[in-house]
Amino acid sequence: MAEYTLKLRRYDPQSGEAPYYEEYRVDLEPHRSVLEAILKVKAEQDGSVGIRCSCRAAICGSCGVRINGRPGLACHTHLDKAAQTGVNADGSTILVEPMGNMPVIKDLIVDMDAVHWKKIQRVTPWLINKQPVPEREYVVPHENMVDVTQSMACIQCGACVSDCLSMEVDPEFVGPAASAKAYRFVGDPRDAEQYERLKDLAEDPHGIYDCTHCFTCIDACPKGVAPMNQIMRLRRIASNDHHIVDRNNGERHERTIVGLIRDYGLLHEAEMLPRSYGGYSWFAKFHPAAGAELLDSLPSITRAIARGKVNIKQAALGHRIPKADLTAVQGIYEKVEGKARRYELNLYISGYEDEEEAPAAAEAPAAVAAGGDAMPSAPGPDPQQPTSASESESA
Amino acid sequence: MKVAYWPGCVSRGFTPELHGSMAAVAPLLDIELVELDRACCTGAGVIAEHNQELADTLNARTFALAQQVQGAELMMNICSTCQGAQGECQERLDANSEYREAINGNLAAEGLSYEKGLTNKNLLWLLVEEIGLESLKQKVKRPLTNLKVGPFYGCYIVRPRDRLGIDDEHPRDAYLHWVIEALGGTVIDYAGVHKCCGFPIVTMNKQASLRQAGRHLSDAQDAEADCLVVPCPLCHLNLDLQQPGAAKAVGRDDLAMPVLHLPQLLGLALGLEPKQLGMSKHVVKPTSVIDWSSAVVGAPAAA
Amino acid sequence: MPAHDVLIIGAGLAGQRAALAAADAGASVAIISKVHPVRSHSVAAAGGINAALNPEDSWESHAFDTVKGSDYLGDQDAIEIMCREAPDEILWLEHAGVTFHRNGTGHLGTRAFGGASQARTYYVADITGQAILHVLYERLMMHGERISRYEEWFTTTLLQDDAGACVGCVARDIRSGALEVFDAKSVILASGGAGQAFKPTTNALICTGDGIAQAYRIGAPLMDMEMIQYHPTTLAENGFLITEGARGEGAHLYNAQGERFMEKYAPNKLELASRDVVSRAEQTEIDEGRGFPDGTIALDITKVPRKRTLEALREIVNIGKDFAGVDITREPIHIKPGMHYIMGGVKTDSDGQTPIPGLYAAGEVACVSVHGGNRLGANSLLDTLIFGRRSGEHAAGRARAVAMPRSPVSALSDAQGEIDAILDRQSGGRRISEIKTELGETMNRYVAVYRDADGLATALEIVQRLKQEAPHAAIDDHGTVFNQDVLAAIELGYMLDVAEAIVVAAQERRESRGAQFRTDYPERNDEDWLHHITVSHDGDGPQLGTAPVTITKWQPQARTY
Repeated sequence: MAEYTLKLRRYDPQSGEAPYYEEYRVDLEPHRSVLEAILKVKAEQDGSVGIRCSCRAAICGSCGVRINGRPGLACHTHLDKAAQTGVNADGSTILVEPMGNMPVIKDLIVDMDAVHWKKIQRVTPWLINKQPVPEREYVVPHENMVDVTQSMACIQCGACVSDCLSMEVDPEFVGPAASAKAYRFVGDPRDAEQYERLKDLAEDPHGIYDCTHCFTCIDACPKGVAPMNQIMRLRRIASNDHHIVDRNNGERHERTIVGLIRDYGLLHEAEMLPRSYGGYSWFAKFHPAAGAELLDSLPSITRAIARGKVNIKQAALGHRIPKADLTAVQGIYEKVEGKARRYELNLYISGYEDEEEAPAAAEAPAAVAAGGDAMPSAPGPDPQQPTSASESESA
Repeated sequence: MKVAYWPGCVSRGFTPELHGSMAAVAPLLDIELVELDRACCTGAGVIAEHNQELADTLNARTFALAQQVQGAELMMNICSTCQGAQGECQERLDANSEYREAINGNLAAEGLSYEKGLTNKNLLWLLVEEIGLESLKQKVKRPLTNLKVGPFYGCYIVRPRDRLGIDDEHPRDAYLHWVIEALGGTVIDYAGVHKCCGFPIVTMNKQASLRQAGRHLSDAQDAEADCLVVPCPLCHLNLDLQQPGAAKAVGRDDLAMPVLHLPQLLGLALGLEPKQLGMSKHVVKPTSVIDWSSAVVGAPAAA
Repeated sequence: MPAHDVLIIGAGLAGQRAALAAADAGASVAIISKVHPVRSHSVAAAGGINAALNPEDSWESHAFDTVKGSDYLGDQDAIEIMCREAPDEILWLEHAGVTFHRNGTGHLGTRAFGGASQARTYYVADITGQAILHVLYERLMMHGERISRYEEWFTTTLLQDDAGACVGCVARDIRSGALEVFDAKSVILASGGAGQAFKPTTNALICTGDGIAQAYRIGAPLMDMEMIQYHPTTLAENGFLITEGARGEGAHLYNAQGERFMEKYAPNKLELASRDVVSRAEQTEIDEGRGFPDGTIALDITKVPRKRTLEALREIVNIGKDFAGVDITREPIHIKPGMHYIMGGVKTDSDGQTPIPGLYAAGEVACVSVHGGNRLGANSLLDTLIFGRRSGEHAAGRARAVAMPRSPVSALSDAQGEIDAILDRQSGGRRISEIKTELGETMNRYVAVYRDADGLATALEIVQRLKQEAPHAAIDDHGTVFNQDVLAAIELGYMLDVAEAIVVAAQERRESRGAQFRTDYPERNDEDWLHHITVSHDGDGPQLGTAPVTITKWQPQARTY
């Protein structure tokens, strides 16, 4: 047994007073969860502490909170680990607050309807059956069902929404949870509206191209859903397979970066902006959209030139890697982009190889159902270890 | 120590002061830089968004080139985004030998091949893990006394934690704090320390992008930081080059927060002058905000 | 005041399925849940759902396995219905979007499960319950205009008219504390089981027997209450479930001496014998000193290829890592039998009707009975969906023939009075959690895998004493917004009523059958005990009764695995 101090953020909406912090001392074994500690407080000291909870086993998604400033499930966080990163660095105090980006109802309980569920509803979260509906089951390749299991693993806990940095500055951003939910349908061969879903989310100024690519949701998710990865897949399918050129410059930006590196080997920054707005061509800078943007950026650009930060010649011509290397790079582009199907390895599904094990013979990737969703997972070698921190490359 | 040095694209493009200051401080830190000038852009996460195999192949090529540098102890980058983008590719390559073999197949035409297990570190990690804070402290000629520095890490070097090897033994998301203190400066903590500068969406949702930059700059300024320090030139672009726009996006007309590259902060402490470190090239000139004669005490101590 | 054709209390699989079926049949529907629907405990069901969908399989085979699994206490007409309708239900789910596992040809694939003569368990990794529940909720969102959802509303009382029919309920909006009367032509209880009356249990904190107690209190008979399932593989400390799917994939059980002891107890099915058989085997090994020092048995999942474990048992990889500090792909995990499911519940027919007009029940809250003395794994998900659907359809049909009732005038004030009484309690009594803990430990001690008359008598004494103490347990929270304290007080009352019924029924059945094993009556005795035991409330306390077992095709035989 060890003694821990829980510092809980309290808020009583009926009191008319501001939120405040209250400390409670609890005695529990170090491997127990923060939720168990909070429940002990409720049971023995103060039954008015409000927290949603049910299964205690990280499957129902009720107990999403922020522990020491980081979002996660209270039932899933061990006391000893939480105390280590705790507020007072004394190894025993744990700060627990409600999740962010959502209004607080009371104590650790937030209004998920107002934010999380609203966004889920936004993405038409039900299967729109491909016709005709077969008499028995749809025939769906094994790989596809395994692929969407990652999105299906989402327990709607809200941890990703809590700390989404895009949502912090743009509350209308569709968000990580809803995007992962959208992928669950886009990746399901039985859904009839892959194109429509992608077009909708790509054209929405607060849609998939509003994600600031900060990885916060990947770290927050207790289930390995990796919402940001799902957003990137949505972008990939939208641009590559459906050629959706959105009004938000998302597809153009992607095509610009990819194209510039093929043509220069390096980012040609001066071209990045015009081509993201005007399309991938030297003449993009004369496109009205690009022109307007360039005009808007004039203060920064002129200052940069005046300071000598930006070299005009280099801005015009760009900088390249040596010719032979550029040719090699272009060869790689040709080879890889020329493939009929994208070859992708999803570590969530294939796991990590063990050091000592030799890879077994590959399984042939099953043919993917037609419908524009070319996503075979790479053949996985045999026995894999589950993801764990100790396996990652800590360079 | 000798390192296979990937300078990135932007340090040779729109933030030349980064490239220059790194070259200037390397000898002072006993680092021999062997530049990987044959390597191409890491893709900054965008090529991976478009096609994972392409990103993994291009970066495997860079790794293979690094592995060819004789006597290099590891590969080093000066950009959080490079670290993160390369790290994502390396994770896949190292996790699955079959996949690695297939990717190496794409490199066969050039006779290149990536061998699993390359060590790739950002300058920030190298300072703490290879050089060591004690050793760094000893090299300080001009302690940054009275300089209040706000660290800004950049997303790609602090998340996801597992992939970046951030754990109890390597609290890499605190290294910038430590380095500032080792150089004699005062760390200013503010809300945005580990948040996003907004660069990835600057062309897709400019307002949201600049609002992020604006907030972090404002929070640091309100916390009375004299300057920010960033280990990522893309962050630098959104925080410095775009600072006028960022200020407008958050309705602040009093924003004047100089943003230093990590090698510049190092250079100052190691005895170099602001001009040598290219600090006059910034959009928000550090010298117009910080009076170096008072913020950084005296001239360098005698060797 | 909300008034609907069909009012459903509880939004787990049974409740949501009933809502969708009733709406499809044209009824106006409301569904109330004390938690957000996707938090319902159905979400934790892991292993899979049974159906004889395979052309080489037959519903008769599935039905026989179920009858045998029930130790011949199940009602065979209801079992036949469930097994016959199962295949269509699976296809309905698949069309609705459930991401069932596929075999090599892209068709629905199965895994082996306990007590089944053929592999007929359809699954989604080891999150089958979650996968189905979320898809049903997707459908509820899709039909948002037809089905009114009352999420985070706590039902306090069922309402009856003068003739004794059920006409609705009173529920509290947890967020604001406001009480509301819900009028309905039919009410379907789908509020799940009562696992929290036991400690430890695999069940969530919300499984407090609300519906069972509410029905009981208005005179609906409960049936088979003595049949409590102890799941063979639960974590010792916190009772968390390790899915049967692990054994289905090939995991083995070993005692501390390294013996694969199931060879002794169930030479044919081994680890995949029915749950009561496996639990008793484990308990015997533990009681006779062949368990590990912490009172556990080893479950060895390293037998399953690692890649398969990652794909099909990911949840328990996580549970092992997060809650037991064990990598199940490398070493065995220690488990023991733990309270998991209640076969008993509110007595219904195969359309979900209770003897009280207008009151239906479906899912774990109900006892049709399809599980009799012991439930087969992967039959519960099936039960909830089949009888959820049937109740919804029947209730919708009933609505066409019945006028919208009026609830008693005093309903609201009576309910408010009960809550005020809780708020007014003086401090000084025992705390709610203390009483609950004592209840749980008592039930787990005396009403577990092995029972006897003395133990049951002790249990009853304690339960009755706790029933006296409970009304004096004071609460801390006197606010109205999200007052979880008041709810805990009400739930404690429900758990005590349910516990009392369980003990009384266990005392009455002087026989061992299915999950009930009496060391003082160790044999099954069809002559004297081949009937259901019912418990009804008549104002004084529990009254015992009997109900016949319906036998259609399969005469009781000796039950071996």
